[in-house]
Amino acid sequence: MGKGSKEAVAKAKPQVKTSWKKAFKRDWQLYLLLIFPLAMVFIFNYAAYPGLRMVFMNYKVMKGYSGSQWVGMKNFVDLFTGPSSARFLMALKNSIVFNLLDLALGFPMPIILAVMLNELRFPKYKKVTQTILYLPHFLSWAVIGSIALTMFRTNTGLINMTFTSFGWIEQGIPFLTEKFHWAATYLLIGVWQGMGWGSILYLAAITGISGDLYEAAMIDGASRWQRIWHITLPGIRPTIVTLLIMNLGRLMGSNLERLVALDNALVRDFQYQLAVYIYDYGFSGQHYSIGTAANLFQSLVGLAMVLIADRVAKALGETGLL
Amino acid sequence: MKKNMLKRSLALAMSSAMVMGALAGCSGSTQPTTEGGTQSSQTSDDKTQNTSSGTSEGGESTSAEGAGIDGWQPFADNVKLQIPVYDRGGEVDVTNNYWTQWVQTNFGDKYNITVEFVAIPRGDVLNAYANLANAQDLPTILMEYDFPKQAQWADDGYLQELDLEKLKTIAPNYYAMMEEQGNLDYTDLNDTTYFALAERPYSQNTYNYVTFYRQDWLDQLGLEYPTTWEDTLKVYAAIKEAGLAEYPAGGTKISGAGVDQNYGYRSNPQDEYEWATTGDYAIPALSTEAQKNLLKRRNELYNLGYFNPDFTQREAADGEADFIAGNAFTYTAYIAPSISVLDSFYETNPDAHLSIAVCPGLIEDTGSDGISTTNAYRPNNNFGMMIGFSALASDDEITAAMMYMEWMLAGEVDGTSALFTMQYGIEGETFEYDENGYPVITNNTEGEYAMANNNKDYWCVAVESKTLGTIEDDIKLNMPVNYPDSDEWYQQILDNYKGMESMVDSGVIQPDCNFAVTLTSVTDNQEALLGLYEEFASKLTVASEDEFDTLYEQFKQEYLDAGYQAIIDERGQAYNDGMTSKMK
Repeated sequence: MGKGSKEAVAKAKPQVKTSWKKAFKRDWQLYLLLIFPLAMVFIFNYAAYPGLRMVFMNYKVMKGYSGSQWVGMKNFVDLFTGPSSARFLMALKNSIVFNLLDLALGFPMPIILAVMLNELRFPKYKKVTQTILYLPHFLSWAVIGSIALTMFRTNTGLINMTFTSFGWIEQGIPFLTEKFHWAATYLLIGVWQGMGWGSILYLAAITGISGDLYEAAMIDGASRWQRIWHITLPGIRPTIVTLLIMNLGRLMGSNLERLVALDNALVRDFQYQLAVYIYDYGFSGQHYSIGTAANLFQSLVGLAMVLIADRVAKALGETGLL
Repeated sequence: MKKNMLKRSLALAMSSAMVMGALAGCSGSTQPTTEGGTQSSQTSDDKTQNTSSGTSEGGESTSAEGAGIDGWQPFADNVKLQIPVYDRGGEVDVTNNYWTQWVQTNFGDKYNITVEFVAIPRGDVLNAYANLANAQDLPTILMEYDFPKQAQWADDGYLQELDLEKLKTIAPNYYAMMEEQGNLDYTDLNDTTYFALAERPYSQNTYNYVTFYRQDWLDQLGLEYPTTWEDTLKVYAAIKEAGLAEYPAGGTKISGAGVDQNYGYRSNPQDEYEWATTGDYAIPALSTEAQKNLLKRRNELYNLGYFNPDFTQREAADGEADFIAGNAFTYTAYIAPSISVLDSFYETNPDAHLSIAVCPGLIEDTGSDGISTTNAYRPNNNFGMMIGFSALASDDEITAAMMYMEWMLAGEVDGTSALFTMQYGIEGETFEYDENGYPVITNNTEGEYAMANNNKDYWCVAVESKTLGTIEDDIKLNMPVNYPDSDEWYQQILDNYKGMESMVDSGVIQPDCNFAVTLTSVTDNQEALLGLYEEFASKLTVASEDEFDTLYEQFKQEYLDAGYQAIIDERGQAYNDGMTSKMK
């Protein structure tokens, strides 16, 4: 479509001019309903922002913001060189490594699952399967932690007791007490918990692909695998890219509930991630300023990752996120 | 049209409710918890009045300055008094029950004071107070047993200076008790007076913390309760071999303040500098030889198969469950007329026979591993509860707090001591007098008059344990009664007390060092070190015998670098400056 024809289309569109007053009078109920989410966003996402200035202070609770001492960038320097720097650096390394592993394992699984579910033709079986797969998402990490303990305890866990009673193993597998076993257990539980729920967006995207394409491909003799490869996956590519960018933003993040639920003193070499550092050292240890500095650092790196990923995606010809 | 109206009304109502709800969550004001029938509600007007009365000059509203209880007059304006109380997770609501209402009726209403109890989770004291401080809602008094915690609060500005003369005037019995107990020596920090201190009877002797053990197992095996390391190993081996318990040494998470106390592994006599710098119980002294030996012994128990290998996945409650199920050799607890674990234990094991371990006096032992130990234990501080006064409290609120402390110690209700009623309850309902005239608790755990933790977390503001003045009477008062083996326990507890007394006389029992200055390195590093200790001690427990020493050296250095060396240095400086207590 040429430039001229675009202008023509724009001109052909009816120009609806309406004043703010008229719009409000017409849809006031909608605006009223919007107040609640806007208030929530303001209160919980923005109202706390002025408190961030504690990253430049040696913040003391009873002295408050007005009485606490300004220390410039000291808290950021302390993160990397202070008494807790060894723990912070360990937490930083673990967060990055485990988020990358989570991404590598957890990101493709919902896509694979969505494609598989899409191929199921028996509706009842499909619905039951979907429900079962979504269910773990609604379990709290405290419940998952308890289930994991019951299942995976080294000596008295269900799995190890079963394997031992069948004579398959002589000693219990230290699923939760040896760091490499723990890493595998932690990652797989994460995949199990999130993959069903994660597949919803992809399933929605798949439904948006025109059935004509599949029909044409079938007439041309395309196999099921070829239809998936050449129609389904390219059809959901923008969704994949968008979610990938969003996931990259969480590369520095970590889920405290998940880490605490699966905590064990023998696996801290891996379990000690940024969320744990911030809670233990920052909150429990009452180093509020350093905890906040670590959190801000985490958020800024996350933001940078999103921006970089978005640029890269656009450079590769994708729509991007921003 | 009607439908549209309905829609509009609903939209308006929903959005208003939701916005108001969200905004209400941000409100800084707090309302009192549910009040008893006799308790008046605290309104925002009351709050304003409290503030104004606190700042008013000339003490117009303060009519309570008379000497002692007889001189007290009700406040002209209602005063809100907030008292912290430990919440130990029991069934009784510690902030609103018969006893909180009883305090309000017999103390609060009489002096125009609204007494509000603030629940402090027992396992999370520092965070609980920090959250209250964050909300600028500290209770009127801050209570803790540990000097370092109070020192941290003083240093962080939670506390205001205490006027001892005012305490002497308003609460003369309380002040006299402090003077008589020698507790006036502990009121100051950094040359400022902060603390009032409750009485702790038998502070050096921990006879009331006892170990119950399976006498029936030992009888079956033909063995005695062990007092040396080699005997301990023999008993464990025999128990395991007989199939009585898979893990006779137990095993739960190694975590929390007070974990892995190394008193029995220290040299005798101790070096005073080492005692001052690494001798406290709150932060495990991982870098010391004593702690290394303690950990090495546990490592041996683990490698011999006596220590539960799932220990990192087991809470203290799992250990109790083992004992109740008849799968554990020992159970350690404070004595009380009723102990819920023992109730369950005898229900599950009606034929079991429990004895209480008796301290025979000082035992010095060197095992075949070359490690020398004594049976030294951690004595308590000279004082019970330490009481600081909130920096946010008004003069009137401080006065009310002092009145509360005095009333709890020396007040009377209908001719009976308030303290006695708080400790024992109501005759015929919670206790009966026995043939010797001793009050014996009959039921204080259920029903209308149920007492959470024997009400101790209320009356601890005055005294740490029930006492009638002699050890014999006190054991009878406090010991577990109505159990199948109770008859034997009186003599065992008495013998245990005497054995501990002889240990105190021998000089091996030393209270922890107290510091007259704030130790910032302690407050800065304590939480982080406790976390590290749990990790390192757990790893050292499961290490093979060969790798133990190498691993220990590595962890020792990491522990020192993570802040323990800074603590040793600061404590050492205070010791050299003469700002510490001394060994006896």
